[in-house]
Amino acid sequence: MKHEDQHLSDQDLLLDVDGEHSAHDEKRVRAHLKACWKCRVRRDELENAISDFVHFHHSQFEAKLLPPDGPRALLKAQLTQLAAAEPSQPSSWFALIHRLRWALAISTCGVLALCLFLSHLGRHGALHPQAVIVSIPDSRLTPGAAVLMDQRQLCTQPNIKNKLVPVALQRKVLEEYGIEGVEPRVYEIDYLITPALGGADDIHNLWPQSYSATTWNADVKDALEDRLREMVCTGNLDLAEAQQEIASNWIAAYKKYFHTDRPLPEVR
Amino acid sequence: MRTLPVSSATDPGNLRDRLEEEVVALFDEFREPLLRYLSSAGMAFPDCEDVIQETFFALFQHLHGAKCRDNLRGWLFRVAHNLALKRQYRTRRDLELPADAGAENSVIDPNASPEDQAAGSQTRQRLLAVVQALPEQDRRCLLLRSEGLRYREIARILNMSLGGVSLSLARSLARVARRAQQSNL
Repeated sequence: MKHEDQHLSDQDLLLDVDGEHSAHDEKRVRAHLKACWKCRVRRDELENAISDFVHFHHSQFEAKLLPPDGPRALLKAQLTQLAAAEPSQPSSWFALIHRLRWALAISTCGVLALCLFLSHLGRHGALHPQAVIVSIPDSRLTPGAAVLMDQRQLCTQPNIKNKLVPVALQRKVLEEYGIEGVEPRVYEIDYLITPALGGADDIHNLWPQSYSATTWNADVKDALEDRLREMVCTGNLDLAEAQQEIASNWIAAYKKYFHTDRPLPEVR
Repeated sequence: MRTLPVSSATDPGNLRDRLEEEVVALFDEFREPLLRYLSSAGMAFPDCEDVIQETFFALFQHLHGAKCRDNLRGWLFRVAHNLALKRQYRTRRDLELPADAGAENSVIDPNASPEDQAAGSQTRQRLLAVVQALPEQDRRCLLLRSEGLRYREIARILNMSLGGVSLSLARSLARVARRAQQSNL
């Protein structure tokens, strides 16, 4: 019988203990455990190691943890202070406007993506089924990440061009975005906050920018990055603000700093 | 994981109060696990408390901005982890466990006999030695798993693959098990 004499690895046993196996693997592992004393004993040893560690880890803190009353009161005070600092506009309006703004942005992107898809179909017959046009990164996956440096440090460095992202990391970014089975050349794995603005070489700062995007594409974003860096280094814009604006919505930032609703022709 | 009922999210009068209540309830639920995680990673208690305050403040703003509510536990650990790393960069302090952490962290059960106390203390010292000897990433994996996080959540927090998480945990637990067997011989 296949693999009958092959014992399970610690990794397999642990995945079983933690209920992290796929249904297929779980069945395979359970069948082996039924027949194998040695693996059952090893599984128990790992369970005991977990139990030892958890007991040890928790007992270390039992006597040291302070009651939560003080820290809880501090948090409440901070939240109250935040409320006092906010404009008097009801928060529900904020949430509503926020949602409407996102709904508008998503529907605009949807219409744009559909138009591009149809035009591409017209030209080439069919687009790869997995290719997705991404113009704005998912803020949950790519919130942006920056290295710690101030304006002086940034501007005394030469204008750093984006480094090449290793292929393994590129694949991981595509995987995070649920983009599978496409050629890597369909997308540029781009920095959300460019290193020229202090952006970090970190997966939270990388996203798949589609080459298929014809309007809000990488060239347009490059122009924005150059403009923001120039403004930061001439003291016309705070570095943190520039990073925040490009990370939250680079298209909105482009419109704001180029005073236009569409990309300027020379950068398209 | 607590979530707001749909009706309350659309009630214009008390959304903010309800959010505040929700955040405070989450604070009560997760402060302790977060403290254990950050402190075990070598951060001093007052710093851990600061990071946790920052984390829940950020959570309030996150929820107030009507952002994603999926898996808030994973979100909290991820943000706390990142804030702790930022603090490490800022203060240039070493996040490794201090050399005398074993003595500082030792807890004696007053109900145990002197022999049991001595044996228990030895076991803890051995475990501490094993945990301290783990590479930082392995230790963090183990700590996050012991706080109940699933492999996918750990992978996202530590920026690892799922396979990497299971391999790391298996490696660490094998060491703990080996040390336990040596103690029993």
